[in-house]
Formats: sequence, structure tokens, C-alpha cells
Amino acid sequence: MQQEVVLAMLAKEPSHGYQLRARLRDALGPLGDAMNAGQIYVTLTRLEKAGLVVSEPSTTGADRPDRKTYALTAAGQQRVAEWLAEVGWPKPDLAEFHLKLVAAAAAGLADPLTIVDAQRRELLRRLRDAQRAAMAEPGRSDAALLLEGIVLRLQADLRWLEACEQNWTGRGSES
Amino acid sequence: MNTMADTALLRARGVRKEYGKGEGLVRAVDGVDLEVDPGETVAVMGPSGCGKSTLLHLLGGLDRPSGGEISLAGRRIDQMGEKALARMRRTAVGFVFQAFHLMEELTAVENVELPALLAGRSPRAARRRAADLLDRVGLADRARFLPSALSGGQRQRAAIARALSNEPLVVLADEPTGNLDSAATAEVLRLFDSLHEGGQTLVIVTHDERIAATADRLISMRDGAFVDETRLTGGTRGQLGALVGLEG
Amino acid sequence: MGRVLLVGRLAARDLRRRPVEAALLLIAITAAAATLTLGLVLHGMTNDPYQRTRQATAGPDVVASAGPNPGIGQADLAGLRALTDAPGVVDHSGPYPVVGGELETDGMTGSRRTPRGEVVGGAAGVWAVGRDPAAASVDRPELIHGGWVRDGGVVVEAGFADALGVGVGDRITLRTRLCEIRTSDGRDCRVVTGRSFRVVGVAVTAAARPYPDVCFAPFCPWFAEAMENAQPQGPPPDGNERFLEDPVEPGLVWLTGPDVRGLVPAAEYLSYVVNLKLADPTDARGFVTANQASTIGPPILESWQEIRDEHDKMVQDQQRVLRTGGWLLGLLAVAGVAVLVGGRMADQTRRVGLIKAIGGTPSLVAAVLLAEFVVVALLSAAAGLAAGWLAAPLLTDPGAGLLGSTGAPSLTLSTVGMVTAVALGVAAAATVVPALRAARTSTVHALADAPRPPRRTPRLIAISARLPVPLLLGMRVAARRPRRVVLSTVSIAITVSGIVAALAARATIHQDAQLVGGTDPSIEPANKVLLVITVTLAALAAVNAIVVTWVNALDNRHSSALARALGATPRQISIGLSAAQVLPTLCGAVLGIPAGLTLFAALSGDETAKPPLWQLLAVVPATVLVVAALTTIPARLGASRPAAETLQAEFA
Repeated sequence: MQQEVVLAMLAKEPSHGYQLRARLRDALGPLGDAMNAGQIYVTLTRLEKAGLVVSEPSTTGADRPDRKTYALTAAGQQRVAEWLAEVGWPKPDLAEFHLKLVAAAAAGLADPLTIVDAQRRELLRRLRDAQRAAMAEPGRSDAALLLEGIVLRLQADLRWLEACEQNWTGRGSES
Repeated sequence: MNTMADTALLRARGVRKEYGKGEGLVRAVDGVDLEVDPGETVAVMGPSGCGKSTLLHLLGGLDRPSGGEISLAGRRIDQMGEKALARMRRTAVGFVFQAFHLMEELTAVENVELPALLAGRSPRAARRRAADLLDRVGLADRARFLPSALSGGQRQRAAIARALSNEPLVVLADEPTGNLDSAATAEVLRLFDSLHEGGQTLVIVTHDERIAATADRLISMRDGAFVDETRLTGGTRGQLGALVGLEG
Repeated sequence: MGRVLLVGRLAARDLRRRPVEAALLLIAITAAAATLTLGLVLHGMTNDPYQRTRQATAGPDVVASAGPNPGIGQADLAGLRALTDAPGVVDHSGPYPVVGGELETDGMTGSRRTPRGEVVGGAAGVWAVGRDPAAASVDRPELIHGGWVRDGGVVVEAGFADALGVGVGDRITLRTRLCEIRTSDGRDCRVVTGRSFRVVGVAVTAAARPYPDVCFAPFCPWFAEAMENAQPQGPPPDGNERFLEDPVEPGLVWLTGPDVRGLVPAAEYLSYVVNLKLADPTDARGFVTANQASTIGPPILESWQEIRDEHDKMVQDQQRVLRTGGWLLGLLAVAGVAVLVGGRMADQTRRVGLIKAIGGTPSLVAAVLLAEFVVVALLSAAAGLAAGWLAAPLLTDPGAGLLGSTGAPSLTLSTVGMVTAVALGVAAAATVVPALRAARTSTVHALADAPRPPRRTPRLIAISARLPVPLLLGMRVAARRPRRVVLSTVSIAITVSGIVAALAARATIHQDAQLVGGTDPSIEPANKVLLVITVTLAALAAVNAIVVTWVNALDNRHSSALARALGATPRQISIGLSAAQVLPTLCGAVLGIPAGLTLFAALSGDETAKPPLWQLLAVVPATVLVVAALTTIPARLGASRPAAETLQAEFA
């Protein structure tokens, strides 16, 4: 879990850890299930050490991390602003798969087409899962939008696999 | 094998369809075997021109194969006369097309009731059924709209409602999302999924991975023949997190 | 050059792409062209044969005859002779002796059948003119068959011969009856002579009215009025007067002078005729007026114009039928072409878009369309001219009594020009609309294949839901294109009104014939024309019905394919397509009946007979049945196209 995400979630108002978790779950939908409950507290502790977040013990509870209220420091505010302005984007790592095919073909270790098929099956399964998850979401939820993104990326990957297949089929017939 | 044959709702054996002669001979479908069990959703994928639409027309008795056997619910349809085929389509098959093929001058509800009227139902019963179906596809408030006043997704939903008019054994869909944008595709996907949940047998030919992924079984078709078959069993939700970089 | 080639190629491809439509368009324009050709060829046809005959036979300008009058006296031969010296007369023939009587052929044993199939008793009336075996300078009857008169040999006027069915070699018997007035109101007639003659020739003349209106003094019905007004000179009839019985509906034969004289008991019973040639033939009427006496005794004069008018009357009915029929046919052809052009329009719009998309200018588009239609128009004009020219002789029999009945009428340059111009005009009209559209509609719009969207008629759709499937489909097909339904209705209404008018005409002729006694030779040609027009009307209406069904089948191939995918059988679809035609047919037929009766009443003016009710009632189901049968083929062709192909073709 990226620190900046947790920071940004705090930007609205000082919150308890469990409130943060709920907010993340709302935004992520079924994907939030994968989130480790303790992970958010680990992150908050790190942020506190870095001086980006301050915590106040809750008036009602004992000194348990989930009873603390967290708030952004000025540095934290600054960090959130920087993060929002960033344009970094996860890089699709296609080179690895591509090289896998090349190597398999060159060494005669495996038929690239078999590899493509296996990969496609896997991606289709993921697509199916993402799709099912998306359909389970109510129409315009934040989570549905995220799932749509996953679906579209998987679709793009599947199309690339199709291109791979056509390409390697062509080579197969040449040799 | 026999046990499968007994349970299969739709079965094709060595089905071929050829056009033209001599040099110009085109094998649109070249020896296809297929079995679809009741309640199953099967997707056939392949590049355009691979023969998947032709296969679908053959399965629905809209076209006749050059060779091979096709049976639906245990009855051979490849040798049926035109009239028997028409009757069979009327009662056992629902078609969904890429271009929707709604009649422009008929309202949504009039389009949906048409197959029931063709099947000889009373106008009142046909209308009631059509209204129910439109409600089911979420178009109850659009029943009196002409197709031209509906969005793409709404049109296709109306077309799907029409396909369901006579409670067909199988719905055959030809690129049902081919003319739709992403949001409309989602509407249609959702509808197909609910049909699937309801036990409707579906055969969908498509090159849209999204719709293919909703199937129980995915068949890849190339140059008129099946080249790969995948049973898409459900994965774990946990993997989804990895897809968006949520873990760790 | 390349441009011309391109235009030609595009036009040819398009025509070949839709061969059936091109063929139907061809037929529709051809029918219009043929009708027009007929009309033009027949126009002025009436004058022609009489003029020709008049020239060929050295026809007289004035015919004068004189005869004995019961109670008045003998024929005024001196008066006739005096006429030959009257001012303005340049030549003459006669006086020839004439006798009225009756004629019997071998076949006439007590009763005989007229050309109209009626059985009448007795012999035919006849006037026998005694001529010299040598040719005369005025009125030389033109022999069609055989030779000229000789003793014991008779020459029969052609129209009469035709009606009697006699020819050279046959034997006929001529008889005269002498009547005696015993009291003021009773008379007693008996045959005084009966001689048998061999027919040696058949000839035409311009010197007599046509059969059965031949007349010589004293029995000219047309002169009866003059006689009524005339004050008889000399002593009034006072019993025991003797005279020859007047011939009824007489024809004309020629004998030698002695043979004519041999037919009467005494010379006092003879009439005489002279044929006069005037210095100024155009003033023949003036001559007649100047010399016609208003009394009974002196000669009766008749100008050639009057005789010509009588001949013209023979074909007047024919002409009226033709003119009306021509109009009806023209309207039908236009309806057919309109449907076809309208049907092609949707298709054309898209093609136009394609041509524009690949860089064609609107003028190129127009050129392609024009080229197509010009080809069709020229072919149609040629075919129509040929058909009209070939069909004309069927209709233009000028009456057997005149020359010119053989051979096809001539096609004048103006006729050819006119027909071609009209065919091209239709083609141009058919091109203008799509060409204008091509210029107007945006390429994108045209490419999007937006033909006229089908109409939505909610009430019809609701009603049709209650009908059996084929009718449901048919009604919706009809409802999609209301204008086409109107055209179909109009087309059928025109046809049915034509048929009803023809039936009414028949009934009227029938009635007249019964009144008159039934050997009017003008009946047969009029009937023939009626028949030809009716058949042509029906044929063109059939073409229209097929055209509309075909266009409907094309127009509806998508919804038909869809209906089949949804479970309609090909049979239901084809019945539906037929039904879409049958509904307007029913309306058209029902409308056509009063329209036809009105039309006929308007045309004939005077008292008309109504055709029997059963005929009128039979027209409706008969029309519907015929249309249903006719539309079966195109409907079935339209319905049997593979549905899958049609549904898929949308994306090909």
C-alpha cells in the first residue's frame, strides 16, 4: 500500500485507522478484500515516524492503534499536494513475456503458441473474475470504475496476445 | 461420449458450410464439432471472417450446412424443411444480432411481441409477455419508444428481450456488443449474465474478450475450424488485487 | 474519354446489378411508348383510307340519285341529266340504273348468324347498281378480288362482302319485292324476281356510304327529314299504288345494266344515280346546297364530304375507345414507372454517396444515372415503337369497305421522335430526383444508407397484431410505404375502371344491336379494339402488380429476413407480400367500378346500358385473385432469399 494513498485519504479530515480502512474499502470494492487489515497501521506508523502524520490517542479507548486519530502535518499536506501533481504511471511489463516467447522459440524449448494459449487462458480467467466483480457492483460506484479499468487493461493484454499469436503462427509456417 | 451426447441441448457433428465452386470455393465452416449443455454459456471467438457467424446461422437453422449433422434438443435440424425450420426457430431459438435488427417503424414493445405474434399467441398475451420482458431488461419505461429514440445499449437490450419472447431453448447471439460502446457493453454483459444465472443456454460468437470471458466455455475459431477450447473456471478474487498493485 | 468510359462502366454495372428491376423498368416504359405509338399512328388514320380510296377509284365529288316515289311518279331522270350540265361540273358517269331489293347467299337458309353472333332471319338488304363493263371516268370501284361486272356476274362491295362472308365464286340470289298499298295503312308485298348471280369480284368505292347505310333515292333515311318537310308535288297517293319494297340495312353490289333492269318488272321501278366531278371538289357541299331540291321528286344529292363522314363514323367508336384506352394505359405506365423509380431511389441514394465518397462530383453522379436511364429509355422507345407498330393493324382495320386495310400503318419520323422524346422524358424525370438528391444530400448521410425511413402507422400496426401471421406481415409491409399503396390502388382502380368501361361499352353495343337488329359492321372492329385495349390494360396492370410486389420484396428483404429469423415461414412471408398487394387491389377494384361507369357515361354521353350486375360484382374477386396469383412469383422469390445472407450482408 502506497504511503501517499493513505496520506491522501487523511487529507479530508483527521480519522481513525478503521475509518481510513472503510474509506479505502468503499473505493476499492471487492479489491479491498485483498487488503491486509494490519497493513494500513504499519503504513500509518511509518508515516508518523517520517513526520507526515501526527496521532492523538482517542479519548475513549486504550492505547490501541485503531483507537488513535490520525491527522496530516504540514509536511504531510505538502507531500499529498506533490503526489497529486505527479504523472507517474505503472509500466506494463510486456518485455518479459515477449522475451519468454523469443527464448522458447529460439531454444526450441516450447511452442510459443502453447505459451500464448496458456497465457490467454489465464488472462481470460482474470478477465472473467474482474468482470463478475464489476457486475456485482452497483452501477456507478467508485469500485466499478476501478474494475472497469482492470477489465480494459486485460482486454488490451488479450489483444496483444492475439497479435503475438498471429505473429508466431506466421513464423511457424515460414520455417 | 454417449452420456454427453444425451445431455447436450445443441449438438453439431462435422458441420461444414461451403460457398462457391472450384477455385473460388470458400470453406466458411470446416468440420466443426460442438456440444452445448443446457444452461451453459459458450462463446466462440475468432477474427472476423473466421466463419463464426456462419456457424451461428447454421446452429439456428437460418442457413443449411453443406455437410454434417446439427441437432437441437435431440432433433436433427440440418435436414428440416424451411417450414419446420421456421417453426423450430420460432419456439426453440432466439437470435441477437450485432446490428440489433429492430424494425424501425415498430416501438420497443411491438418489436418484442413480434415473435410471440408470429408464433400465434393472442395479441394480449404477446403484449403482456413483451411488457414483462422489457421490464426484465430494464426498459419498462421505454416500451413505447421507437428504436431510433433508444440508445445502442437499450436497443440491444430490447433485441435480447425479443429473442426471449418465446422462451427459447437457446439464445444465439452474433457479436451482440459489436456496435456498442463500453458502457452499453456493460449493460448487455450484465443482462447476459443474469440470463446465464437464470439457466438460459447461450451461444455467443464475438471478438469482444469481455463478453467471451463471461462464458463457461470459450472456443477459438480460425479459418472455419475450432482451434482451442478453454473452460473458464472461476479464479480467486484475491488475484484481482494484484492486478491493480494493491498487495504489499 | 476516361470519364465517358467510367460513366459507361458504372452505369452498365448498376443495370446488371439489378437486372430484374432494369427489365421491369424497361417493360413499364415500353408499355407507355407502345401505347403512345398506337395513339399517334391511329391519329388521322380515319381520313386516310377514305382519301386513298377516293383517289384510287376516281371518287365522285357529288353523288346524285333519283328514284320513283309511290304516289308521285317515276325517277326524275331528266333532272339527273340536267345536273351533269350544271355549272361547276367537269365530268360525270351515269346515270346508272339502281334497284333496291334483298340478297341471299347459299348459307342463308331462313336464318343466319351476324358477325356478332346473333341469329337473324331473312336476307340482307341490297342496292344493285347497273354499271358498264367498261371503266367509267368517275367512280371506278377498285377491285380487291376478282374482276368487274359482266352479265350474270355480280361484284360485291368489300365491306358488304366481308359482313356476308361471301367471296369470288360464291353464288348469291337477288330478289325484288313489289308492294301494293291496298288501303291507307296496309300493304302487300310479293317477290317479283329472283335471279342467281355468281360473285365475280369484290371492290371498294368512295361513291357510297358504308354498309349498312348505303342508300339511293328514294330510300335515303338521312333524307327522310327533307322529305318530311317537302310538300309532295302531284296527286297524293290514293290506293293501289305499287312500289318496290325498300331494302333494310342495305349493302351495295354492282351488276351490268341489263341485269339490273332484269330485276324489276318494269323500268318505272328503277332508280338512277350519277356521279359528278366538280371543278372545285372542296365546294361540293356548296354545289349540293345549290342544287338540292327540297321536294321529293328531284334527285337527292350527296357530297363526298358527307360520304367521308359516314365512313369516319364507322371508326369513331374505335377511336374513342382507343383514345380513352390510351390515356388509361399512359396513367398505368406512369404509376408503374413511379413505383420502380421510387424503389430504386433508396438504393441509388446510397450509390450516389459511394460515388461521391470516392471523389465523384454531383455532375458525374448525374451523368451515371442519366446514362443508365437513357439506355433503358432508348431500348424501351425502340421496343415500344415496334410493339405499337405491330399492334396498330389489329386496331386500325379501316373498315373493309375502304382501301388501306392491308399492311401496317406507316411510322412517320415525327411519331418516332415523339415516342423517343417521351421515353427520354420519363428517363430524365427519373434521373432528376436522385441527381438533385445527390447534389443536396451530404456524402456522409447518403453513405449511412438512409433511404426514406419507413412510415409508422400505429393504428395499422395495432390492428395487424390481431390478424393471422401472413396478414399481419402483409399489412405491415403495406403500412411501411403508404405512397406505394396509393399507387397500387390507383393502378388497379384505373385498370378496373377500364375493364368496367369496356363491359359497359359492350353492354351498350349489345343493346344498340338489339334495337337496330344487329348486323352493324362497326360493332366488330369496336369490339376488337375494346378487347385489345382491355387486354393491354390488364397486361400493364399485371406488370405493375409484379413491379410493386418486387419492389416491396426488395424493400422488405431486411424485415422479411428478420421475420424469418424470428420464426416466420417463407410461405407466410410470401403470402404477406402478396397480401400487401391484395389489400390495395381490393380498394382499387371497388373504386374502379363507379369510376369505370362514370368514365363510360362521360364518354358516350347519350343513353348507356349498364353491364349486368354479376359482371360488375365478378370484377372485384377476379381482380383480387389475379393479382394474388401474379404477385406470388415475385413474392416467393423475395421470400426465399436466404435470411442469413440478407442479415449478414448489412456488414459485408
